[in-house]
Amino acid sequence: MTSHRLTSGGRIDRTKTVRFTFDGVRYSGFAGDTLASALLANGIRLLGRSFKYHRPRGLLAAGYEEPNALVTVIEQGVREPNIRATELEVFDGLVAQSQNRFPSLGHDLMAVNGLAGKTFSAGFYYKTFMGPAIGPLKGTRFWRFCEHFIRRAAGLGSAGTVPDPARYERMNAFCDVLVVGSGPSGLEAARKAVAEGKSVILCETEAALGGTANWSGPDAASFAETLISGLRDNQDVRLLNRTTVWGRYDGNTFAALERIADHKAKPATGEARHRHWVIRAGHVVLATGALERAMVFPGNDRPGVMLASAALRFARSYGVLIGRRIVVFANNDSAYETAAILHRLGAEIPAIIDPRPVVGDWAQSLADEAGAKTLPAHAIVGSGGDPELDSVLMQPFNLETGKLSGPKRGFACDTLLVSGGWSPVLHLASQAGTKPVWSDKLQAFLPPEGDDHWHAVGSCAGEGIEPPAPVFEIKAKGDKAFVDFQHDVTADDVRLAHREGFQSVEHLKRYTTLGMATDQGKTANVPGMAIMADALGKPIPDVGTTRFRPPFTGASLGALAAERFADLRPERLTPMHHWHEEHGAGMMSAGLWMRPESYNQPGETVEDAYLREARIVRRGVGIVDVSTLGKIDIKGPDAAEFLNRVYTNNFAKLAVGKARYGLMLREDGFAFDDGTTWRLANSHYLMTTTTANAGPVMQHLEYFLDCIWPDLSVNLTSVTDQWAGAAVAGPKSREVLAACVTGTAVDNEVLPLMGIVHGKINGIPVMICRLSFSGERAYEIYCGAHHGQAVWNALIEAGQPHGIQPYGLEALGALRIEKGHVTGAEIDGRTTAHDLHLDWMLSKKTPFIGSVMLTREGLTDPDRWSLVGVISSSGEKLRGGSHIVEGTKDAPGRSLGHITATCLSPLYGKHIGLALVENGNTRIGTRAFATDPVRSETHVPVEFVSHHFYDPKGVKMNG
Amino acid sequence: MADRRSFVADPVIAAHAASPLQGLKRPGEFGALTDDGPGVFLTERTGLSIGEVASWKDSEGKCRVAIRAVAGVMLNVAPGSGTAKLEINVFNFAPGRWLVAGTKPDLVAQLAGSVGEDGSVTDLSHGRVVIRIDGPKSRWVLSKLFAINFANTAFARGQGLATMHHDITALVQRVGEDAFDIHVFRSFARSFWSLLRRSSEEVGYRID
Repeated sequence: MTSHRLTSGGRIDRTKTVRFTFDGVRYSGFAGDTLASALLANGIRLLGRSFKYHRPRGLLAAGYEEPNALVTVIEQGVREPNIRATELEVFDGLVAQSQNRFPSLGHDLMAVNGLAGKTFSAGFYYKTFMGPAIGPLKGTRFWRFCEHFIRRAAGLGSAGTVPDPARYERMNAFCDVLVVGSGPSGLEAARKAVAEGKSVILCETEAALGGTANWSGPDAASFAETLISGLRDNQDVRLLNRTTVWGRYDGNTFAALERIADHKAKPATGEARHRHWVIRAGHVVLATGALERAMVFPGNDRPGVMLASAALRFARSYGVLIGRRIVVFANNDSAYETAAILHRLGAEIPAIIDPRPVVGDWAQSLADEAGAKTLPAHAIVGSGGDPELDSVLMQPFNLETGKLSGPKRGFACDTLLVSGGWSPVLHLASQAGTKPVWSDKLQAFLPPEGDDHWHAVGSCAGEGIEPPAPVFEIKAKGDKAFVDFQHDVTADDVRLAHREGFQSVEHLKRYTTLGMATDQGKTANVPGMAIMADALGKPIPDVGTTRFRPPFTGASLGALAAERFADLRPERLTPMHHWHEEHGAGMMSAGLWMRPESYNQPGETVEDAYLREARIVRRGVGIVDVSTLGKIDIKGPDAAEFLNRVYTNNFAKLAVGKARYGLMLREDGFAFDDGTTWRLANSHYLMTTTTANAGPVMQHLEYFLDCIWPDLSVNLTSVTDQWAGAAVAGPKSREVLAACVTGTAVDNEVLPLMGIVHGKINGIPVMICRLSFSGERAYEIYCGAHHGQAVWNALIEAGQPHGIQPYGLEALGALRIEKGHVTGAEIDGRTTAHDLHLDWMLSKKTPFIGSVMLTREGLTDPDRWSLVGVISSSGEKLRGGSHIVEGTKDAPGRSLGHITATCLSPLYGKHIGLALVENGNTRIGTRAFATDPVRSETHVPVEFVSHHFYDPKGVKMNG
Repeated sequence: MADRRSFVADPVIAAHAASPLQGLKRPGEFGALTDDGPGVFLTERTGLSIGEVASWKDSEGKCRVAIRAVAGVMLNVAPGSGTAKLEINVFNFAPGRWLVAGTKPDLVAQLAGSVGEDGSVTDLSHGRVVIRIDGPKSRWVLSKLFAINFANTAFARGQGLATMHHDITALVQRVGEDAFDIHVFRSFARSFWSLLRRSSEEVGYRID
């Protein structure tokens, strides 16, 4: 291995040596190197294996368009595949691995794929594995069998399984002008915008600002430096390097990825690895430049074949000379200048091969400067060397006919630089829906003319691009000729697709996979279309171009998700949350709320705990946190009328100081939500909703007020968080209240069921409503949320003489099942008031939301599923979601319904449940089975009973 | 604890009030601190009465006058307009809706009296938590959390906006040169506080 590092030059810091490993071997480079430049400096040119044929591959490009050199970076055990070596800045301790090879880069067993010749052509997998029957493996089954092996052989790296410890952030930004690209044109556009008093964000995908100025020579560099320092000093400008604008969306909204810490061994304190920018710009200037295209000829993928512009970048930006003896193959003049520069830096340039019949004076003078022999009307027809290039083969070429003729000649060389013309980077224009315009002169697609929201400048707009000869492919016999290096798509694949009828450019892409994967065909799309156009006998613009979609280059999923998950996932906590945790409650999520499941005492299971808690409620007194219930303040002169329309039952006649249980339907007549609503003043109601449905109910109410009945004077405000709530339930609940509530009596006369009183507990104002979810005598005590804990403590203290204990969601669930109350499990969007035996709540006098639909045939069908109770006849446990069937386990018959909720009844000691069953009313007293064939494989005999297991007349809760 | 500033304005019941950030809010300096000091200062506003005033469709003007009578501040008709003073903050956050936060213990009752039949007043003193972020990097930190243009020219002092954190409603008012008050639902206050701390880490922050 010889060093390819020049003794001077480049934008690297030669005083800072950086040590890293590639495929386990230790190398060193300089600060400012990319992995690609550092490996090249060390003489390493084989960087990867190709996707399908596992051919050895080196570097084609020097930037984000690189199709071959994808590596996996391993940091703290986290693997990140498909990082372009040309973008990966080296740092001390970097560990990188090549991809897609087994067992090693040098000796890849999968390279045998390449020997199979035309076998692996376009559509190979589909044709071969999807159709045939081999033994028992037919069609899809055969594909599934093969898929495992195919996926192992093909693919782009492998993702890790270790959680990523890195931080990712989101950032919102606004500006008058967004400039994408910091080359001379972008910098000039930014300067102009600033001079006009506009706020500017300038994004540059590379580490260094300046774009092409960084490798175009000293004049360009100093021009750029002057502009950059002017912009840096301006507070209306934000310069973002290492930031790729990858998506353009409606309203000139842009997505950009800033790689903050990828080039560091360790991020700084509080520093994110990536930042996802959402930029809202008044105007965008696309100064994204143009990308050089490769030429398609046999063996054009051999390590050592590189874009001419890439060689220039490696020399000028990194001080690395790509080869000693370099042949150039170009259909335009731009590569001639590169040849002259590389010659000045010490390379021998034996020949410049040009398919054009005549070389212009300027190009010829550059060739002379490079000491190179020009060979016009010639083309490269092959390459040699294993695995790296050691020779090229050329032959006379007729540009008019595209034909080769005459003797072939070989040239010994270690590098072949190619230039097949330039393609403006118009992705962000295309993403917004504009149609690219073909330029015959430049043999490239250009962005159309801009408008108030965007325009393109510089080479993105086609300015300063050397016009190439219209030649994309040299049709010679021999080795494979690649169009898309990353996906191993050859010129023959494109022609095969044409022969098989895939003539649209969109079909071509999908059939051959041309232009897919991480590089999205940045160097391949135009040559691929040119070959298709040739096959079709049409001009290139008639074949069309695919619309570009985001992302321009890959964006990390971590950055898109940003910091709103894991430990930063939002949780809603009640004012008594920490008390529950301190008292042994296992917390469970109910939507975003955290609620106590049960308060397990030492040695207790959840089942033990909830049975104990529920029995205490039935026999003594328990307390449960109900702060999570949705609460909506409804105020206004029309509040009563509004509620009359929203609920199925009448609320206008509800007396002040009373609560009523209400049922809401959707417009289609199905049940939507239930809860109690309290009339606190003549034009002031407090509505409670189920915990889970608080948001949807609020939206439902707002929709009707804003859109259907704008004439009603009613205001809604969510007060869920304003009130802390505790329900005290059990035969002794009244004694607990009597012991701590002042300012009001709580006896049956003053506070009957559905009554509301205002009083104080420990001097804190409270509002008490007598309600029961458990079926026992019970009260809900509400106070300002900041006082929630103080009131809770006072209630617990007052309850001590009566043995009060807290109960959680499990006990709450068991108590409501025994009582036959419905929740979201039964109000599941498919049930009607009739199904749930709530038809007594349907007003017959006044219309309400959903009332006109109630007589629909489907809603009155007597065979509809309706609510019943079930008891396990065998003593086996019942499982929620089990189907109700009449047959045996082996022949269960059709499903007649399902179980919605189950528990071991604290009161009866039996496994009971609620179920929605076809024609449920007529089944009371009959038997069937609850079958759960997939999960628990249980088939339990059940008896149908009334859903009111406990106190059907309500004596307890009224007493 | 007697000298601790009450969490709610009403002195009668102040002693029993507990902030949802209790135990989570450790005073001190954290994160990447530089010689220039913390990039942001985070504080929980205490001793506040918070009320929401909502007008009927034809009574916006009357409600503005009613708020002025209590708060002593002029209110502009432009959406989001408001005033930030030491003892009272008012801003419009939706058509015909204002948030009023101040140190008067009976602020909400006064508002209700002043508004009368011209609208509704809802007490949110317990339902919202107000977190103030101040300091040279406040806009940078807030821009991580909210899709709002916090630039001087776009977000005037006193102005307020309804927005989202974690896809959940939050109100933001600019109350000083670099200071913003964020009104979040009480139940989400701890989650939001943690998010705010994490977001402030890279610029260094002080909790008072």
